[in-house]
Amino acid sequence: MEFSPAALLTLTVTAPIIVGLILVAGRALPHHFASGFAFVGFALPAVLAPWLLLRWTDPTTTPAQFQSVGFWGFGFGLNGLGAPLLAMTALVGLAAGIKALTQEVEGRNTYLGLILFMLGGTLGVFGTDHLVGCYFFHEFALIPTFILTLFWGGEGRRPAAMQMAIYLTAGAMASLAGILIAVDAAGVAYGAATFENVANGLQTAAHIPAATGALVLFGLGTLASLFPFHSWAAPGYSAAPTPVSMLHAGALKKFGLYGIILLGLSSLDITGGSLGTWFLWFAVANVLLVGLICLAQRDLKQLLAWSSVAHMGPIFLGIWVCGVSGQADGLDAAAFLMVAHGLSCAALFLLANAVRARASSYRLDELGGLAARTPVLATLFIAATMASIGLPGFGNFWGEMGVFLALRAQPLWLQALVASTVVLSAVYALRAVAATFFGPASAPLEQRFAAAPFGDLGWAERFAAFILLGASLMIGFVPSLVTKSVNPVAAGITTLAQPNAKAPTQTGPAAPAPR
Amino acid sequence: MPSDLTSLVHWILFLPLGAAALSALFLRRAGTLAAWLSTGTAFAIAGLSLLLLGQGSDVTWHVELARFGGVSLGFGYLIDANARLMLFVVSFVAAWIHLFSVGYMKEDPARGRFFAGLSIFMFSILGIVVADNLLMTFIYWELVGFSSYMLIAHYFDKDFAVAASKKAFIVNRVGDLGFILGIAMCLSLYGTLDFTALRDHAAAAKTIPVAVGALLMCGFLGKSAQFPLHVWLTDAMAGPTPVSALIHAATMVAAGVYFMARVSFLLAPDVLQFIAISGAGMAALAGLCALAQTDIKKSLAYSTLAHLGIMGCAIGLGRPDLALMHMAMHAFFKATLFLGAGSVIHGCHHEQDMRKMGGLLKKMPLTAATFIAATLSNCAVPFLAGWYSKDAIIEAAYHGGHVAIFAFLALAALATCLYSGRMLRLVFLGEANSEAAAHAHESPWTMTLPLVVLGLVYSVAGGFLASTLLPAGALQPIKPALDALAFHLTAPSTLVGLFSLVVGLFGALKFYGTVRGADALQVVSPRTYHLLEHRWMDGLYRWYVDAVQRRIAELVAFLDLLLINGVAVRWLGGGVPAVLGFLTGRSFHRGQTRAYGLWIVVGCLLLVWFLLAR
Repeated sequence: MEFSPAALLTLTVTAPIIVGLILVAGRALPHHFASGFAFVGFALPAVLAPWLLLRWTDPTTTPAQFQSVGFWGFGFGLNGLGAPLLAMTALVGLAAGIKALTQEVEGRNTYLGLILFMLGGTLGVFGTDHLVGCYFFHEFALIPTFILTLFWGGEGRRPAAMQMAIYLTAGAMASLAGILIAVDAAGVAYGAATFENVANGLQTAAHIPAATGALVLFGLGTLASLFPFHSWAAPGYSAAPTPVSMLHAGALKKFGLYGIILLGLSSLDITGGSLGTWFLWFAVANVLLVGLICLAQRDLKQLLAWSSVAHMGPIFLGIWVCGVSGQADGLDAAAFLMVAHGLSCAALFLLANAVRARASSYRLDELGGLAARTPVLATLFIAATMASIGLPGFGNFWGEMGVFLALRAQPLWLQALVASTVVLSAVYALRAVAATFFGPASAPLEQRFAAAPFGDLGWAERFAAFILLGASLMIGFVPSLVTKSVNPVAAGITTLAQPNAKAPTQTGPAAPAPR
Repeated sequence: MPSDLTSLVHWILFLPLGAAALSALFLRRAGTLAAWLSTGTAFAIAGLSLLLLGQGSDVTWHVELARFGGVSLGFGYLIDANARLMLFVVSFVAAWIHLFSVGYMKEDPARGRFFAGLSIFMFSILGIVVADNLLMTFIYWELVGFSSYMLIAHYFDKDFAVAASKKAFIVNRVGDLGFILGIAMCLSLYGTLDFTALRDHAAAAKTIPVAVGALLMCGFLGKSAQFPLHVWLTDAMAGPTPVSALIHAATMVAAGVYFMARVSFLLAPDVLQFIAISGAGMAALAGLCALAQTDIKKSLAYSTLAHLGIMGCAIGLGRPDLALMHMAMHAFFKATLFLGAGSVIHGCHHEQDMRKMGGLLKKMPLTAATFIAATLSNCAVPFLAGWYSKDAIIEAAYHGGHVAIFAFLALAALATCLYSGRMLRLVFLGEANSEAAAHAHESPWTMTLPLVVLGLVYSVAGGFLASTLLPAGALQPIKPALDALAFHLTAPSTLVGLFSLVVGLFGALKFYGTVRGADALQVVSPRTYHLLEHRWMDGLYRWYVDAVQRRIAELVAFLDLLLINGVAVRWLGGGVPAVLGFLTGRSFHRGQTRAYGLWIVVGCLLLVWFLLAR
């Protein structure tokens, strides 16, 4: 029996939501029954979404800018940028789900159900090519995020959830205003507001209100923790329960970038004029200032949360340079990094929690020497760290390196500032690894071990980490898995952005590069 | 393009990756099996490399892994004469060091991890050798850095090993930062990263911008531990001794020299000048610093720094052929020296302080014989391996008319003989100066066989054997250098060499025999000793990290908290919810679920308003 890709896509998005509904409604469902049910909700997308990506046919044969596979009424459809993000989200979702299933929490069924809502909403973001639908799914995923952080979060969850709620709601409001103005200006009916229709409509639009680009860039930028709208992110991720941090920092956050690319970059000239200059400096600040802030962290989870903000910098810069250079390579690299960062970042949050479960602390000075007691945990954590600092073999390398190469026509000092991330990230990441796993064990850790001996990483968490790191290695060794679907979209968006691209400002190419 | 040779290179490159994966996944607890798997693989690669060397034909092969816009992410092989030679040297030395490790690491509970690391390193270094483009070179460059990091941190419960591993990785990444910018500049200027295409572009261009070479050179400065990025190499001795021999003496640090030779057409005259002078200066300084080390491995590490300086100097003199020749010769005798040191350390129950050794000539005769042979080669005794290459470089410096460079190299030659004589005197001659040395024993065959093969066979008769035993054409890249050498007594290099040998080696043997159980120089002139011992650059970097970088980081973090999070968000951003909270009669900062509900309702109303108002 052959299922149409459209039907499978629909199932990918709706399965977690339906299972989530059943779990939330059936709070009294027996433990094992609920676990099995929830696992299906987590696992089904993780099978279907990568399969959809593998089945992706070469869309260069069609002239469409945003190749859509299987519309389903108003809702679902996949474009080349969404396809790898959908697959990444599904894998992060499965890993987060496995983690959630191993946790003993109060109101477990509701907890699992809300995480499934969050997963379903995030899958919906990348599984629809309808602009307003995409926004709707993001909000749908965000609400359980707040609730989960507030009720199941760790230390400092109340102020963190509050701050996150205010920031993200404000960002969402600004971006909603931008989106609605853009749809309006494009002259498209809301029911037909696919990314493609809106972008095409804006190409011929008589007038686009001046603030639209800024609303979209800074609104969506807030959701993706663009400097200086990033303050919510580190405390938010830190305080949230681990599966929520994994899904939020790994997958859901990418909605902001996804929207900036498909709407802002393609049609709203966010890289031109003074807006473009602000964009550039904010993105550089993400790399440099947030990178420096990472150096000052003394808590493992805070450090991971901050570094997740810092790693947005190269992504923003890839998007920026695509707009100013009119070349698609920056965007290809940024999209690659979006996928790869999702995997490595989720793996790090997962494994850091395993550290905390053993040491009862995230404070770096209370850890140390864990590698002797938990070699598998140490190996996987080091692998995830290496992935996140762009070691070749893992996906992040292609993304980071691609962005550096895409910046090649920019002034050398700018390139040097951006590429300094390879040193900064190595300094703070290796320090964290050394403080956690190497050296002699700290006194508190020894006492803790003497009181309650702990073992190495359990099989469930090993499996979850293997999924994430395995996927990262896979796209590291076979980068075409991602680029085959992203390339045509990036080329299309670059063409769309081209007529809007203003002459480079003082930060533009120093000299025309001979080819 | 003969496809069977291509598959031969596939096997050479991917065999160690397979071995590493097998060991890491399944053999963590089966150390012996992992050791022999890794060693067997290394010997297989050495055999295949010899086969490739014998074939003597070039291999080119290329696939595109993916594209980012107009940038091709390529993977391919460019096996020319240099690459064949380097492949052979690396795999041959590595195979014997693997065998040595089987004995040396016998008692180590983490052998599985160790040998998996060695195999990963083999995969990485071979990748640098065969790569046909800058991006692929950089990929393997990073992997080499990673495997070096993991192997230095082998004894991860020791603080000094952890600090050394971090330092090595980070200092290398500082160099890589420049390397990345250099790659980007090549792509920007020439539109390609392929070595062959770059060579054509460089040949067509009248001048090469200084920046290209200067930036690519940064990678070399990091990986080959050249001034000012040399500080990591001596600390890297915290790793197990076979690692020091393989990675931090014979191969990885030589990869930088190989890379510079590979892109020598991109180096502008100014860049070459810099490399030559800094290399020669480095050679002299590091050679003198080797005199003030008590740890036998640290002393050898400074010796490696000196030889890397000499190789760098040859690159700078525009003689990459000489640099490669010295790289090959050095790989053999320095690997022997490190393995010999390993054998000594093993025999003396993990004593590394040379002042506590002595009299080992009788107790460890095989080790002593090979160590002495390699030392003499290191000192460039005529007709031993080191003589061919080192004197050729000194000669080239003389004929190049660079007085300062020649003077530095002459000083380096003298220093080499001095520290070599000191080492022989302290370790092998005289009487045992500690309990451990008195009860020293010769090492097992797995350790002595590699010493004999690498030491006696290659260091002593390196030049002759290489030209008679190896297949014709194998030495093609260094043949002109060998032929051009004028071996006569009045050549400046010969005079310098013989003078150093007589004064340095014999002087040191005599001088260091005057004091027992201590360092003669430290006794005679503590101030000179301290000057050479003190690590000025380390102090400078530590000051930068502690006083500058850390303070800036903390300042930025504080300002972020104060200005962005505090003022902008709490006061300005907080204003809106405060007003809303006032209007609805409840505070927003109490963190109640209803507050979010309110926000959502407001959002929905706005949405509806937009939809209706059109």
